[in-house]
Amino acid sequence: MLEIRDLHVSVEDKEILKGVNLVIPKGEIHAIMGRNGSGKSTLSYVMAGKSGYEITKGEIILDGVNILDMEPNERASAGLFLAFQYPIEIPGVATMTFLKAAMNAQRKARGEEELSTPDFMREVKQAAKMLEIDNKMLKRALNVGFSGGEKKRAEILQMALLKPKMCVFDETDSGLDIDALRIVSQGVNALRDANRSMLVITHYQRLLNYIIPDVVHVFSNGKIVKSGDKSLALELEEKGYAQYDESAA
Amino acid sequence: MVIKLNKNEEILYQALLDADAISIAKNFRSVGLPTRRNESYHYSDLKMLLDNIGQIATTATSTGEFAFNIANSFQLQIVNGEVQILGDKPPSGVVISTSNGGMSEPNKDIIAQLNSALTKETLHIDVSENLETIIQVDRCFEGKAALHNDGVEIYIANNSSATIVEVFDGSSEEHLSNSASKLILGKNAKATHIMVDISSKKTRHLQTVQYEIEQGANLHSLIIHAGSSLARTQLFANFNGENAHADFAGLMLVDADRHSDITIDVAHKVPNTTSTENFKSVVRNQAKAIFQGKILVAKDAQKTDAAMMHQGLMLSDDAQILVKPELEIYADDVICGHGATCGELDENNLFYLMSRGIEREQAKAMLVRAFLAEIFDPITNEDLYDILAGIADDWLKE
Ligand SMILES: Nc1ncnc2c1ncn2[C@@H]1O[C@H](COP(=O)(O)OP(=O)(O)OP(=O)(O)O)[C@@H](O)[C@H]1O
Ligand SMILES: [Mg+2]
Repeated sequence: MLEIRDLHVSVEDKEILKGVNLVIPKGEIHAIMGRNGSGKSTLSYVMAGKSGYEITKGEIILDGVNILDMEPNERASAGLFLAFQYPIEIPGVATMTFLKAAMNAQRKARGEEELSTPDFMREVKQAAKMLEIDNKMLKRALNVGFSGGEKKRAEILQMALLKPKMCVFDETDSGLDIDALRIVSQGVNALRDANRSMLVITHYQRLLNYIIPDVVHVFSNGKIVKSGDKSLALELEEKGYAQYDESAA
Repeated sequence: MVIKLNKNEEILYQALLDADAISIAKNFRSVGLPTRRNESYHYSDLKMLLDNIGQIATTATSTGEFAFNIANSFQLQIVNGEVQILGDKPPSGVVISTSNGGMSEPNKDIIAQLNSALTKETLHIDVSENLETIIQVDRCFEGKAALHNDGVEIYIANNSSATIVEVFDGSSEEHLSNSASKLILGKNAKATHIMVDISSKKTRHLQTVQYEIEQGANLHSLIIHAGSSLARTQLFANFNGENAHADFAGLMLVDADRHSDITIDVAHKVPNTTSTENFKSVVRNQAKAIFQGKILVAKDAQKTDAAMMHQGLMLSDDAQILVKPELEIYADDVICGHGATCGELDENNLFYLMSRGIEREQAKAMLVRAFLAEIFDPITNEDLYDILAGIADDWLKE
């Protein structure tokens, strides 16, 4: 279970998150929708432990442990996974080398044995097949030369391999064509289970037809201003965010 | 003219007199060790940097162990300046011999002159086939701190090819080694020439490399500095025949308060020759890496294509990377360029790797390896690739 309590975050003395409160029980999927620049990616980066953010107040608790003092890799090993809005290209790091390093690092942190190469290959092949990822893509450097949609699929591939218990998707649907959206959603849905929670950040109600959320939150000006069931997404699509701007002002 | 010699220069001067190298001694008496006033030594003032120069090394027996073990290689050793021809017979197409004294026609540079005058024995490697076997020459600086001089002359005959690996290693004393290597590539000859300094951290390593590149020849040269408190390699390359190509690459891995300098001077003397220079340095602590590259294109050397690049990676703020490119172009129809970059590991890249569970140190190592990929990727021999990449990995872990 994930619990965010009164989280305040500043960047260069400018407050961006202004008291976020959010509880995602085990097995639930929550969605966050909100205007550009309202702080959604900031929230996801702060959860994952990116440096450069000053946390002035609040806690993020994953399964009873405050993760704010942990290194990004420790959070990952604790079961947190962020699918980036803009996955990073890293020339010179082979995708397969990276995948294996990540899987083994997490296994090591959990006190498990390293994966054998055949086991690793098998797992990658299986996950790649489900996400219709071409083997050729896996032979390239990490995300280098991947199209926008391919990068997003590669993120879900990583998630499928790392089997996190708390997944955060930052606009995983943006840049996907209709087929890719379906494939990625299937990939995400395949990972839905009673022990895994998900937080889906999106601008489009459409994604939520594929990945059906238990709760939808409206994010405005650095905090959650309204929560409801999936019908809230439809209402937002119709009426926009203006009403929440006023309530925030 | 004479100058006042310091005590280290006195030792070198005396050694020259003892070696009966009268004219070089006279020259040295008038200039001494190079200082920052000498352009090529601008960042490596040897008069200041070299202290505790020992006496000429005495004979030492070979440890019989080699720094690298590459499958299908022919290994030779030069221990304290003496060539050791161990048991193995050279492969077909290779003749090994020695000659008394230093290298023939050394460069005019005073360090090259000192080397040539003080070297007792030069190793000759003559290749006249397309060799599969890798030739490895280990320089070992053994025993107490001393002054070491040695030379290797390699000749790759027309239409022949070879991979030559030179390794510099030895005991953990404050040695000063002054080595020379000359590689002559005949017409249409091909060579991969790799030089790796993994000397002890107290050793001072000076090396002069000279290339003579004839028509249609192809050279891949790689210099790696991963040892020594002070390492300086100066490289002189002459394109003497048309349609020849050379790739010059190098890597400086420098930490603590070590000082590493690669100074290269490439002369395109004839038309239609091409060269690339791809040098990288990774520095941390208070280390200093220096790259100076000069490309000369002679008046007749039309259609020269020469590109120079140095990329630096700073792993700490206190380290320094100094780069000085120089183009001297007398022909008009040429493509010549140089570039330099210097940066730190990208925080966003590091975060991305760590966000997947990879520990900071391992993530850093992966990114440094990625930075170095261009240096190691052209090495097709797997053993050699693993050894060289392993040197970088080990350096990072220290
Ligand atoms: N490193 C930073 N330095 C300065 N300002 C920043 C930084 N990171 C984020 N911001 C600012 O914080 C605000 C929130 O940005 P964030 O990326 O979290 O928005 P978002 O809700 O994800 O927007 P979008 O829907 O466009 O992805 C913006 O005004 C942005 O300019
Ligand atoms: Mg965003």
